[in-house]
This record gives sequence, C-alpha cells and structure tokens, in this order.
Amino acid sequence: MIRLHDVNKTYPGSVPLHVLKDINLTIEKGELVSIMGASGSGKSTLLNILGILDNYDTGDYYLNNVLIKNLSENKAAELRNRLIGFVFQSFNLISYKNAVENVALPLFYQGVSRKRRNRLAMEQLDRMGLADRAHHLPGELSGGQKQRVAIARSLITDPSVILADEPTGALDSHTSKEVMQIFRELNVNKGMTIVIVTHDPVVGGQTNRIIRITDGRITDHV
Amino acid sequence: MFDLTREIMQTLRNNRLRTALTGVSVAWGIFMLIILLGMSRGVYNSFNSGFMAQASNSMQVWGGRTDRPYHGYKEGRTITMHGSDADAIMNEGNIHVRSALPVIYGSTVTISTPRDYMSAYYEGIYPEYLKTQGHSITYGRNINEADIREGRKVIVMAERNVNQLFESAEEAVGQYVTINKLSFRVIGVYKSEWGQNVYIPYSTARMLNGFSEDINAMVVEVQDMKTIQQGEQVETVVRETLAREHEFSPDDKAAVWIWNRFTNHMKMSDGLGILDMAIWIIGIFTMLSGVIGVSNIMFVSVRERTHEIGIRRAIGAGPRSVLTQIIMESVFITGLFGYIGVVFGIAVTEILNIMFADAEFIKDPTVTVAIALQVTLVLIAAGSLAGLFPALKALKVKPVEALRTE
Repeated sequence: MIRLHDVNKTYPGSVPLHVLKDINLTIEKGELVSIMGASGSGKSTLLNILGILDNYDTGDYYLNNVLIKNLSENKAAELRNRLIGFVFQSFNLISYKNAVENVALPLFYQGVSRKRRNRLAMEQLDRMGLADRAHHLPGELSGGQKQRVAIARSLITDPSVILADEPTGALDSHTSKEVMQIFRELNVNKGMTIVIVTHDPVVGGQTNRIIRITDGRITDHV
Repeated sequence: MFDLTREIMQTLRNNRLRTALTGVSVAWGIFMLIILLGMSRGVYNSFNSGFMAQASNSMQVWGGRTDRPYHGYKEGRTITMHGSDADAIMNEGNIHVRSALPVIYGSTVTISTPRDYMSAYYEGIYPEYLKTQGHSITYGRNINEADIREGRKVIVMAERNVNQLFESAEEAVGQYVTINKLSFRVIGVYKSEWGQNVYIPYSTARMLNGFSEDINAMVVEVQDMKTIQQGEQVETVVRETLAREHEFSPDDKAAVWIWNRFTNHMKMSDGLGILDMAIWIIGIFTMLSGVIGVSNIMFVSVRERTHEIGIRRAIGAGPRSVLTQIIMESVFITGLFGYIGVVFGIAVTEILNIMFADAEFIKDPTVTVAIALQVTLVLIAAGSLAGLFPALKALKVKPVEALRTE
C-alpha cells in the first residue's frame, strides 16, 4: 500500500534543515498505524509527503504501487483526490459551505453531478450520525461534529488511505474517544488503511502499530 | 459549468459589500464608455446625414482676382469664367470629373402672382446642379435637357416661397409667376434646409443676360474618389485648365476660388474618426480603472482565501480548476456589473436621443448592437485579465503552506 525507501527531505535556507533522514517504511493495506514524535521531529513533513502535499529530495515513495515522484501539480491533485482522504487537526472545513456541501466537495473536482454527490454526501453524513446536521454551517457545529464531517469528507471518494494529522488535537478527551472509535470501526469493518499522526500516547495506544520518529529518523516500530 | 457558477455565486455572496463596491466602479466605467460612444455616434450621424455629406461629390468654382502678374498682365485682374470653360474642363478627360456645370447668378427680382409677391434671387442652371446643392424635388419635376435646349421659361422654386405665392406647394406646379414682366411656368418645388433661390434653365438665364458668355460660378461633379489626394488632383486639373483659358498663373490661388467639398468632407471624416478613436481611448481607460479595481479585489480575495484554496487543493482541486474559478469569478463580476453599466448607459443615450431630438449637431446618439457586442467582448477579456494575475499568485502558494495559514 505505502512503501518508502530511503526518503530524504531537506528544507533549504541559510541553515538547511534536514528533516527526514533515510526513511524506510512500509504500511500494508488494512493497517491502522500511528506516527508519533515530538514537535519538530518531522512527523508532519512525513505525513505531507505521504499525502502528496509536499515533495521529497531523494528516495522513492510508492502509493498503491504508483511511484509518487516529480508529479505535476495537476497529476498530484488528481491522485490526492482519488487515493487519499485527509483529516486535519483544525478540521479545515470551508466556513461558508454547509456540512453536505463540504462533504461533497471532493466529488465536485471529479466532475460528479451535483445531485449524485449530494446524495453520496448525505449517505456519509448519515453513517457518521450527522444526518440532522447536514444543512448546518461548520460554525454551528461542535468540534466533534466538525471532525466527523471532515471524516465523512475524507471517505466520500472511497480513498485507498486516510491520513489524519492530529485528528483529536482540538477535541476534548470524550470526543477524542468518539473520533478514535470511528477510525477503529472504519479499520475493522471496512478494512480501511489509516495513518494517524499524533503526539498523544492515548491516541497512539489505540492503533495497531506505532511508528516513532525522532529527529527525522524512524526509531521504533512497535 | 452550472456547478462552477454555483461555486462562484457562493463565494461572491460571501463577500457581498466588497463585490458590490468593485462592481460599481466597473459599471461606472462601462456606463461612461457607452455614453461617450453614444455622443460620438450622434455627432457622426449628424455629420453624415447633413447636406455637407450629400453634396460632398462636387466642388464649386468662382472667378476671383489675380494676385501676381503673368504673361504681361498686371496683378489684380478680375477673372470672369465663360460657359466654354466647362467644356474645356471636360475635354481634359480626367476620370474623376463627372461633369462641369456652368451657373449664371441673376440679380434680385420680384416674383409675383395674383395672390402675393416677393423678391428672390434666381440662378440659371443645368439639371444636375440641384442635387449638388443638396436640394430635392418634392413636387413636380426638375429642369430637364429639353428646357435647356429650347430655353423654356420654366422655374423651380423653394417650398417656403411657394407657400407664400400660392395656396399650396402642390397646387403651384403648372401655375405661372411673373418675373420682370415675363411669365414663367412653375414646374417643380424643392425642399432645402437653407436655400431659397429660384432656378431657371441655364439657356433661359443667358437670354435674360443678353447672351453673354460670362458665367458666375461653375460646379464640377466628381466621381469614384476615395482619397484626399484624388480630390486635390481634380482641383489642380480645374485650376490649371482655367489658368490656361484665362492666362493666369496656375499657382495663383486667388484667380479662381475653389470650394472643394470633397476634400473638406474627407478631412472632416478623418477628424471624426480621430474623435471616435479618442473616445474609445478615454472610455477604455475609464473602464481600465474599474478593471484594475477588480484585479485589486481579486488579489485581496485570493489572499484572504489562501487557506480555503489550500483546503480545496488538498482534497483534489488541480491548479487548473483553481485558476478557472478565480478567473471566472473575475469575469463574472466584470461581466455582470459591466452589463449593468451597458444597460444604464443605453437607457441614458435613449433619453439623450429624445432631449437632443431638435439639435443639429447631434443626431441619434445611441449605440448599435455591434458596439454593445464589442463592449461585451472587451468586458470578458478585461475580466479574465483582471483575474489572471491574482489567480497565478494563488497558485504560487503551495498547498502545505496554504493549509498552514489561518
């Protein structure tokens, strides 16, 4: 599913910052994995590379056996759209679009008709238990509800992998549990591959495998 | 396409005040452009429908006074043209000369009918002359070749004179008037914006003159002319022919006076063309300031929405779709408000049309469909240009960085 081989990434500057050092990593289909590390350890950069939001300098990254390297922005956007579902710490919903429209947005970029994508979006929201909130704006939803809308959005294109960047970082412990419960269910019931970046040991503990990263190196596979 | 429109509408609705303010500047620019173009049209229409335009295919020649000695003659000699000069000009065989028509100016005479009398000024002419003066026959007929050949005592009068001497212009045709104890039959009535002379056949006027060879003026009709140079060339032919016939220097501009209506018309046309162009330029720059406003607003909008654009790109919006959306937004603002400007502008030109209905310098100051189309095209082009640079700027921000901004 995901294979990284000797991936290096340096941020250029007056003092170049070598953030990722010879990363070798394999994540199989159906895994629920967490990437843990202190802030500045390079875990977010790693997630961005996995999500084709950022590029790397050397090495190879295969996603679904496709080499992700030197892609044009258009190609990268298309792969992001089809293969990856993102869940962010700050939800990243569009504030002036209601829940259904937010969930349906990835399908807009696939050229799916409005009627069809709103129907699919409603189905996803229903699964998240948010059918009654479908026409509310993000500002009218609680943090947990927002994150569930974001998860629904990440699922709507039926992606190969879900990448979650501190998905519980902005939530209280109770809603954090709920959100993690959703991820676990998706993993167990649908066989969804999920990668969660976190610094919260409680969150990490609920995943099947923890990848620790320190100073740009993978230090521990559990 | 419909989806894209929804997306655009949603973002614009989100920034209602800003959209409206920008829109007003665009609408104002277009409004001014339409008004200016309408006014320039008006001047143009008035010019082209006037007498000057209709009679532009002729030049009028009068005898003058020499301003330099030539071939033993002193300066200050009066040049009086002869009827034969017209034949001499025709014999030059210039392809642009259609005809040369001698004209005899008579004196002021009293014209009377049993009903009333009036004084008028008569001219002895050839049939084509009326047209070159911009007169058109409204009742009866023009003087014809037979009238000239037989020296008939017939007369063509202006509508406004006829109304004084007869019951009506229609009735006047076929009636008789008395001039210097001679009886003339009214054969036609003409309408003119300014003239009120009466016209009799050239040969008849010669009889009244005691068969003198002298003429007072000559009209040279021209044809197939396109350029000012051709007009000047014909003028030279006329001047040189007369110089030869009357032995004055061909360089002597005072010996004969030539009113070259053709070149005058051409020069005024050129002037109007420049006016038209100037108005386009002024209008376009007015509009440009509106468009720059749109561009500015799009820059602000793109900056404010960096995060949103980041989200969109993360979930699969390619650069192309981001570019399209921003440019379409810009075209939409420019197009919508530009159109409002067009509509208001056209409404105002229609009002002006009514207000200036009686003014002579301006006629039908309205814009045509073609102009409206041109303006629409300019709007779309301007809108996309206004959106292009902000859109390119938006794309420069990488998705990761865009997501990081709040």
